[in-house]
Amino acid sequence: MVGPPASGRARNGAAGGFRDARGGARARGAARRRVPQQPRRGFLRPETLLRNKWAYRAASAALPLLRARGAKDYQIAAIECMLSDFADAYLGRKPCVFTSAFVPTELVYGLGGVPFLPEAASGLAAAFGLGAASLSACEALWYSPDLCSFHRAGVGGAAAGFLPRPSAVVVTAHLCDGGKKSLAHLSALAGCPFYIIDVPFASSDRGERWVASQVEFVAEDLARRVPGLSVDGLPRALVASNEALTEYREVCALRRNVPAPWRGSEALNYVLLFLWSWGSPLLAPFYRALRTHLARTIDTQGFPVQSERHRLLWLNLRPYYRTKLFEHLERDRASSVAFEEYSFAYWPAMDPRDPFVSLARKMTSNFGWGPIERRLEVIEKLVDEYSIDGVVQFAQWGCRQSNGGAAIIGSELRKKGVPFLNLDGDGVDDGSGIEAQSITRLGAFIELLDARKVGER
Amino acid sequence: MLVAGIDVGSTTTKAVLLDGRAIVGEHAMPTGVDLALAAEQCLHAACSAARAAPEELEALVATGYGRDRVTRATAKVTEITCHARGARALVPWARVVVDVGGQDSKVIRLDDDGMVADFVMNDKCAAGTGRFLEVMAARLGIALDEFGPRWRRAKEAARISSTCTVFAESEVISLLSHGVRPEPIVKGLCDAVAARLAGMVHRVGLGGGLVMTGGVSRNEGVRRSLEERLQATVTVPDGSQFAGAYGAALIALHLSDGRGGEKGKPDAP
Repeated sequence: MVGPPASGRARNGAAGGFRDARGGARARGAARRRVPQQPRRGFLRPETLLRNKWAYRAASAALPLLRARGAKDYQIAAIECMLSDFADAYLGRKPCVFTSAFVPTELVYGLGGVPFLPEAASGLAAAFGLGAASLSACEALWYSPDLCSFHRAGVGGAAAGFLPRPSAVVVTAHLCDGGKKSLAHLSALAGCPFYIIDVPFASSDRGERWVASQVEFVAEDLARRVPGLSVDGLPRALVASNEALTEYREVCALRRNVPAPWRGSEALNYVLLFLWSWGSPLLAPFYRALRTHLARTIDTQGFPVQSERHRLLWLNLRPYYRTKLFEHLERDRASSVAFEEYSFAYWPAMDPRDPFVSLARKMTSNFGWGPIERRLEVIEKLVDEYSIDGVVQFAQWGCRQSNGGAAIIGSELRKKGVPFLNLDGDGVDDGSGIEAQSITRLGAFIELLDARKVGER
Repeated sequence: MLVAGIDVGSTTTKAVLLDGRAIVGEHAMPTGVDLALAAEQCLHAACSAARAAPEELEALVATGYGRDRVTRATAKVTEITCHARGARALVPWARVVVDVGGQDSKVIRLDDDGMVADFVMNDKCAAGTGRFLEVMAARLGIALDEFGPRWRRAKEAARISSTCTVFAESEVISLLSHGVRPEPIVKGLCDAVAARLAGMVHRVGLGGGLVMTGGVSRNEGVRRSLEERLQATVTVPDGSQFAGAYGAALIALHLSDGRGGEKGKPDAP
């Protein structure tokens, strides 16, 4: 199904929680009144800071200072990438298009807009201590706590005024069901067009053509309805994406090194950028800087986890709030997350002359969609390529698309002699679990790997 | 060669002292609010039983949720590994270990060599744990020791549909207000705990010797409900509540033999 719902068309301007680029609230009273008060006041309120152009200038000006204090080039490049998109979105410099996590963002960059992923923003909100406020705001809108917290925090973040105002919302029907419904709600709140791209469960040429036709419709309709968007830039975005992909494949090749040249806990943070920035001209410089850093780390043997004992493959996301889980894993247990499921670039290079088919192919080649064997095949390939000792599935609360297959994946991996841990947790809601229990589970899993290594000797 | 293991659990702290492989001292006491103090006192008491001092220990392994508060520990190992090791030593034919402690429960599958092959822990709430039973016993006004006799006297089990401690307590209150006797309620509670444990057992795979450890292993009602549900014999060895501390002590022995891991790091048992 493609196209804006009636509710999306009808409501222009009156939106719960959304503010314009100058920070003026355009919320309907009821929705705004339910939002809990933030502890910060005035200029330091995050919703105010995010819409202040001086805040972006100050942040940009502070980058050399960060570098002087030891920040790596790739970290600076990542901040530049995010700052650019946030400034475009919050200051209204470009039309902001909300997307779900598996929409190819090249589509939005190519149209001349800026993508904004509320799910990924939820991870950032959790990292900056805004997770609880966002979840609380969502609860006030009668959302069930059964919904994945990445979606709840996205909706709540919008209600609390933390998110920019979208000009349109584009989602895909594959993988994540909660995402498309919560984003449909955001489109209704913002009074902007809503598009849903249906991706068939079974992979086929016919299905790919069907998706391509939808992408073409969405692109052209967006260009027609949203001022400032045009399909002319699509080939350019695909070229930028390909350039980043080339760099990224080099990064992945370096990450196969034993010991791991990059701290997995940090790599899991950058999954958010991985979901967000394909098609941005700033992504290739980031991966280039990261590639240089990893090559230097390998050359100088300056590995983040010295005397690495075990290498893990991490499935799904991580807790983005402050947690001792990874400190325990990396420092106390000398074990690395060598690679992450969500860091796997599953799509082929794109053809800028055929952008709609290329974007469709990116969606249909998502290994998380389709029969479970498809995901399992990728996981087994990653286990081999990254010399993995054990697989950890972070069972994000409410994440059906990932948790639904965990039992089969665990069983199949065990049959092949790869230990598997299903680690219950929540990536955004730090109040939903007990950290000590998670540490014990992960610790026991490492001890299991220890025992296996002793047995092998 | 004196070594010790200490299990600082959420409810009870246990210590076991070994001279070689022989148990020469053991002690259990409530953990209370000061975990470090409880660990120190428990260790001293276990050492006193063996007429030794903690300073004489060649190795001390700490486990349990308070393991990080045991400053004098040579190594810290999770309770999963320790319970597996302890249960296997207590019951050599053990293949599946069900450990139910104060705040969590776990089921561990052992391989042929007694190593942890797989494990599962309860989710984040207190359902199926010792704390659940404590709260219910308090609400019923009976001691936990009475669960066994009352389970035997019960002709049927009251239905406790919720495994959430708070909601289950409400159900118990409701049942009492409807004049239901404590016996079927006790059986219903034991069945509810057993249902959760059985699900966990099936996740790791039922087969081979089934052993129960931890404080709740002494609760005859839970054990019998679990046996009924699994249609299998559940072995509860003497000193089952000390299994974690005993396993920790055995790992300490392994460490002091010079075959263990580095100081402060978990050992491969």
